[in-house]
Amino acid sequence: MISGGGGGRSSSSSWAPTTSVSASGKRIQREMVELNNDPPPHCSAGPKGDNLYHWIATIIGTPGTPYQGGIFFLDIIFPTDYPFMPPQVVFKTRIYHCNVEPDGRVSMGILKDGWSPALTITKVLLAVRSIFTNPDPYNAVVPGIAHLYLGDRAKHDDIAAEWTVRFAK
Amino acid sequence: MVENGEQIRSPVIRKKSPLMESNSQNMASLISPRFKSAAAMAGWDEEALLLAALIVEDTPDRDSKQKKRLVLSSKSPLSNSSRKRRALRNPQPIVLDLDEEETSKKDSGKKKREKKNCVGEESKVGEKELTKKGSDVDSNSSGLPCMDKLREELSCAICLEICFEPSTTPCGHSFCRKCLKSAADKCGKKCPKCRQLISNGRSCTVNTVLWNTIQLLFPQEIEARKVAASAINNRQAVQNPIPETTFYTSTRNRSLQPYPYSRGMNSRRNEAVTTQDEEDAALARRLQREIDRENNNRRTSALSSIVRARSRRGVSNQDEDAAFALRLQRNEFMQAFRNSSQEPSSSSSSTLLAGPNLRAMATRAMNLRNRDRRV
Repeated sequence: MISGGGGGRSSSSSWAPTTSVSASGKRIQREMVELNNDPPPHCSAGPKGDNLYHWIATIIGTPGTPYQGGIFFLDIIFPTDYPFMPPQVVFKTRIYHCNVEPDGRVSMGILKDGWSPALTITKVLLAVRSIFTNPDPYNAVVPGIAHLYLGDRAKHDDIAAEWTVRFAK
Repeated sequence: MVENGEQIRSPVIRKKSPLMESNSQNMASLISPRFKSAAAMAGWDEEALLLAALIVEDTPDRDSKQKKRLVLSSKSPLSNSSRKRRALRNPQPIVLDLDEEETSKKDSGKKKREKKNCVGEESKVGEKELTKKGSDVDSNSSGLPCMDKLREELSCAICLEICFEPSTTPCGHSFCRKCLKSAADKCGKKCPKCRQLISNGRSCTVNTVLWNTIQLLFPQEIEARKVAASAINNRQAVQNPIPETTFYTSTRNRSLQPYPYSRGMNSRRNEAVTTQDEEDAALARRLQREIDRENNNRRTSALSSIVRARSRRGVSNQDEDAAFALRLQRNEFMQAFRNSSQEPSSSSSSTLLAGPNLRAMATRAMNLRNRDRRV
């Protein structure tokens, strides 16, 4: 019955927003500034449009890995209570990786229970980059890839490199 | 006795001279060639440099680099500000020990104050000067190379701004008190930086030394945030005595979080219904009937005129709206209570009915408002 009052989160009011929303907005803005001043190596990120809570990021495949030379696009979606809840990180570029779900969602401890409000997008991007070099087959979301990684590393790397050439270049 | 005294004194003197020698030897390593050239440009002679180096040597090792600069700037016979700034900008790295966060913070804070003392060239002592220095620091802050470092060190990892009312965890990390509190509420009671467990009580005390230091270093920013905080507090103060207001405002504006508010209101009402009696349930139903009836007659016109007046004005004032909501609320309840005292209570009603009834009442009231707004 009450539902009339619910819904529309898009229409903002002339009233001052609740503290939590402005706090997350402020924090995201601050992160944006810091990211521009001191961008992490081989990464970039910024809001997709006017929406501060929806970012797009790129990571360049780390040299020495099968992802070398690929440019991977990611979507980052911030929750409204952002630093207290982890952002959602999704690969928009297809990637052959045991810690990335087929729909692109990145499965990492720090994006779930291991999240801490002291983490920033810079650190998240660095963590994503680190799974390029060190996949975690023991906490994999794609068991097939994890098996191959553990059993036949060369074949795994070949396939990953092929995917990189096909989708990320 | 005299000989005894001399015997005691002489080793002290003897001790001193090798120390001085070692100091003069150290000077070469202590003062970088670039600094020396800068000093030469500023017109300092060897003696001044040596003296500075001696004083530097006396200070503990960790502070030496910053102290030296401070000493030299105070030794400067010229008070030309551009020259002084050049001396301050002298490209010597500032050593901030990041591992010893707490102590370095305090140290650097103290150093900053001392430095200001020299630059200001004022010999006043006491509280007055402290506050004055505070304002001095900020105006000059852009010129001080370590200010960025300090800002970084003294900022809260959660909101990424300068710590406001910093609170220090048992593991030694400091955050804004509010940030730490919400982090503990929403992410579990562990330190956001090192994940060590934090207890509840400790997390709410403000680290006064740190807080005072921050207030001295960044007076303008802290002032701005204080103003903002007090504004929020005022708003809350307006809303708190009449919590129901939030319900009306949320339905009117369809603001970001209408659910918690409306649910909160309902539960609050339901609580009242269950703790009091069946009589109250009956009252609620009567209240609802009352609203139904009122929708169709005089109060509609009276209230809608208010609403219309407000919508004509466009931007609504929060206080006014709160007052309006309060008035509306009071009217409803007054009516209801008057009726309940006149009529005998119907004992057949159940508390279970109260919830849906109240909800229906709320929607109806909302519809009425919406209609009024459209008019």
